[in-house]
Amino acid sequence: MPNTITLIPYLVVQTLEYRDYLVQSVLRDLRTKYKRSILGYAWTMLHPLAMMSILAVVFSGIMRIPVQDYAIFLFCGMLPYNFFSSTSLMSLHTIRANARLFGQVPLPKYLFVLSLTCSNFFNFLVALIPLIILTLSLGRSIPLAALAFPIVVLPLLMVTIGVSLILATSNVFFEDTRHLSEVALHALYFLTPVLYRREDLPSYLVDILSVVNPLFVQIEFVRGIFFIGALPDPTSFLANLMLSLVILRLGLKIFKSSEEKFLYFI
Amino acid sequence: MAFELRDITVRYRLYKERPTSLKETMIRLLRDRQWRYFSLFDAISKVNLRVPRGNVFGIIGSNGSGKSTLLKVLSGVLSPSSGAIIRNGSISSLIELGAGFDPELNAVENIYLHASLHRKSRAQIRDRIDHIINFAELSEFAYTPVKYYSSGMFARLGFSAAVDIDPDILLVDEILAVGDERFQEKCQGVFSRFLTKGRPLS
Repeated sequence: MPNTITLIPYLVVQTLEYRDYLVQSVLRDLRTKYKRSILGYAWTMLHPLAMMSILAVVFSGIMRIPVQDYAIFLFCGMLPYNFFSSTSLMSLHTIRANARLFGQVPLPKYLFVLSLTCSNFFNFLVALIPLIILTLSLGRSIPLAALAFPIVVLPLLMVTIGVSLILATSNVFFEDTRHLSEVALHALYFLTPVLYRREDLPSYLVDILSVVNPLFVQIEFVRGIFFIGALPDPTSFLANLMLSLVILRLGLKIFKSSEEKFLYFI
Repeated sequence: MAFELRDITVRYRLYKERPTSLKETMIRLLRDRQWRYFSLFDAISKVNLRVPRGNVFGIIGSNGSGKSTLLKVLSGVLSPSSGAIIRNGSISSLIELGAGFDPELNAVENIYLHASLHRKSRAQIRDRIDHIINFAELSEFAYTPVKYYSSGMFARLGFSAAVDIDPDILLVDEILAVGDERFQEKCQGVFSRFLTKGRPLS
C-alpha cells in the first residue's frame, strides 16, 4: 500500500497496466449508450443542443438576462457542468453495478469511476462540435484562447474524479447518498454561474461561492475561453488547480481506504 | 513458497432486524453490549497455510466451511479482515468460469476482455486467440454472443481463456462439474502439464 506521496504515481502505473481494460470499458459505454435508439450517437450532440435552446428561449426571452448570444453563453457553461454532474451521479451506482465482476477477478475498483469519467469526457468533447457550429453560424468567431482548453479543463477533471470517488464510496455504505447527491447537485447548479453571470449575483455571494464552490470559477474559465476569448487569470487558475488537486487527493484517499471493505457490504 | 497465509480471518457482519422500539434497543445494549443490530460471523478464522511451489494442494470441506472464501482471499478478490498473505507469482483463478465475461459480447471479444482484466495487452493475446478458441472447440461459434452458449460451451471457453494466461498459481474451485468426459480429460491434460512445469495448483 503506497503512502501519501507515492499514491498518485502508483495509481498512474496501475492505470497504465489496465489501459486495455479501460479502453474496452469506455468503448463499451459509448457503444451501448444509444445502441437501441434511432438517432444513435448523434444524440450526444442533439441533446445538449435541444436543452440549451429551450433554456435560451426561457432565460433570454422570458427572464431577460442581458447577454448577447445567450444561447452560446449558456452552452459554454452547461457542457462542463453537465460533465461534472452526470459523472458524479453515474458514479454512485458504479460499484454495485460492477460487483459481480470484481467479486470474481481482483481489480482496482477506481477503474470503474475512471472509465465513467473518460466516456463522459469524450461525450463532452463531442458536444463541443455543435457548440462550435452554433458559434460560427451566429457570426461569432472561435477565440484563439479556446486552444487552452486542455489545460483549462484540468481542474474540472480533477474535481470530477475526486467527487465521483467520494460519492461512489459513500453509496456503498450508505445507500441514501444517491438522494442527497441528487438534491445537492440540483442546488449546486444554481450556485454555479451556468445560467447567469458573476455580475448578476450580489458581491458577498460571489465572494463566498468562489471559495466554497470550486466549479464556480471553473465554469467561468471554460466559458471565458470559448465565449469571451479570455484566458483565465493565472492566480485564480493556480489557486483553483491546487484546490482541485486537494479534492482529488481526498477522493483517492477515501476511496482507497474503503476499497477493501466493498465486497463485505454488497 | 508459492504462497503463504498467516492468521487469515474473514469476518462478516450479519445484519438482523432493526430494533423496533427503544425498549429493544436498551435490552440489546445491556445484553450484547452493543446497540448495533448485527452479529459477527467468521467465515474463516485464523487460517495458516503454506504451499510450496510445484505442489497440488487440495482443500476439502463440507458446504459452508469456507473453501470458496479461502480461494477468494488467495486470488485477491476478498480482502481478509485480518491476517497477511504473501504471494509469489501470478494467479489465475478458475473459481467461477467466465469471470468477467459479458454475455452480449462474442467469444473473441470476451477473450480480449478477460485478458485485459489480467493486465495482458491486446497484442499479447491476439496471437493466442485461435489457440484458445480451438482448445475450447468453439471455432464455429467464435463470433456468437456468449449469452447463446450452452453451459458446457461457456465452461470450455472460460477454462480455456483462464488457463492460457499461463499463471504461476492456478486456483480451481469445483468447476469441472460442467463439461463432458472428453473435455474433462483435456482439463486433466492441462493440469498435468502445469505440474510438470512446477506450478502449484490449489
